[in-house]
Amino acid sequence: MPITYAAMKQATADLYSWSLRKVPDDTKLALARARDTESNPVAQRTLDIMLKSAIAAETSDRFVCSDSGVPVYSIALGTRITIDGDIKQAVVDGFSELVETIKPPLLKHVTNPLTNERGYHGKDMPLVTWDVIGGADYVDITCQPKALGSGRWAALEIFSFPSLARIEEYVMECVLKAGSQHCPPVIIGVGIGGSFGHCAKLAEAATMRPMGSRNADPTVAAMEERLLKATNLTGFGPMGTGGDTTALAVHVEYASGHGFTPVAVAFNCWINRRTRARLYDDGRVERVE
Amino acid sequence: MKRLAVPAGREAIRSLRAGDMVLLDGLITITAGLPTIQRLVECAGGTRELPLPLDGAALFHLGSYSQETPEGGLEILYMNPTTSTRFNPLMPGLIRHFGLSMVGGKGGLDAGCAEAMAEVGCVYLSFLGGGAELHTSAIREVVSVHWSDLVAHYRLVTLRVEGLGPLTVGIDAHGRSLYADLQDTAAARMPAILAGLAAARGGAGGP
Repeated sequence: MPITYAAMKQATADLYSWSLRKVPDDTKLALARARDTESNPVAQRTLDIMLKSAIAAETSDRFVCSDSGVPVYSIALGTRITIDGDIKQAVVDGFSELVETIKPPLLKHVTNPLTNERGYHGKDMPLVTWDVIGGADYVDITCQPKALGSGRWAALEIFSFPSLARIEEYVMECVLKAGSQHCPPVIIGVGIGGSFGHCAKLAEAATMRPMGSRNADPTVAAMEERLLKATNLTGFGPMGTGGDTTALAVHVEYASGHGFTPVAVAFNCWINRRTRARLYDDGRVERVE
Repeated sequence: MKRLAVPAGREAIRSLRAGDMVLLDGLITITAGLPTIQRLVECAGGTRELPLPLDGAALFHLGSYSQETPEGGLEILYMNPTTSTRFNPLMPGLIRHFGLSMVGGKGGLDAGCAEAMAEVGCVYLSFLGGGAELHTSAIREVVSVHWSDLVAHYRLVTLRVEGLGPLTVGIDAHGRSLYADLQDTAAARMPAILAGLAAARGGAGGP
């Protein structure tokens, strides 16, 4: 039984809808842990309200945030799948149908960058990154809607043969610039190396990793731990009104490159919207997150 | 935690300090739209008719989904804050012209806004981002929806709320801003933070 147009349309639409209503379990756990160690009374209270809000949205099946963002997908095709139909068009059609039927209805956030007009449809929407997984008999789909707190403060700069010190300094410059703006505590994704576009994708992919997971490379894992501690020494705190908890995690990914080395820094706001499913070649659908 | 009736008197506003947490009862007016704030600037300048009185009002940067009910009334399906700093250049004029008593949203406002707020006696309140269900549950009545030619979250919506919050006073009416203080503190700490990173690298990683 192949991966069909209909299955792809349904899965991508569902993943977007689900992502708006639930803070991932690993994120709720991280918020609760942060609450236990937070020393600032306002921050403690804010973390309590965050957890309350997450649970309220989940139990009532309502949106956590009114800004549903724009739909962004990372889709990886296993090399052992068979495909029946235009699964690329299915993602577009799934979103088009969803905006007509979803309850509660979405606000219009798809924006024409040339006119600033907003609607439910637009060029290249949904935004999809396609990849391939060697040997897999499934399609792996992650949905991560992007709005201000999960998109506006990302940054990238290209260096020539930078030291680790310079790379880490740049990450901290981005943390300082974002300050109180991105609904902290955030998940920070850092990409190092590759090319301009590849590096940006690494940073975004890093934000999607399971909360607090460590890179397999010990040098990178150590950098993740250092940068998390450093970020939480800035003091911006939950909702940027002060506290010990500015980031819940820092995830770093790298790729080899040329020596002109891009460094990209992406942020995901505290609700950390992220859902993931696998469509198997035998017709099964597994919701992973 | 203080509980305030809105619109609040200047004495009550000036009694608040940055870092206080409050709950609100009363009338608030909200929008998440830059075109809406621009229209309000035109109203203040006398080139557009103001659709409702805003003198001394609480004007918040909150987006909402408003729609008509089958019975011909109005309802709000959900509301939540947007980033206030987007409106930095336009807010001082509005704060002064209307003598706003409260502004708010998320992320704060800049020094120019804080100066205008201190002049008129106005506080900035920080709403929880990602708090749609909690904020929406405080709505008791949709009083009016204006400028319905705009997309839903840009409309100028006036609501009666009960127990809205807790909200954090991010900027008080005495010119103290948590956002400015925290930005200054973080910048001042940065040399020590970078030295800490260097020490944690144990000399590895270059200068």
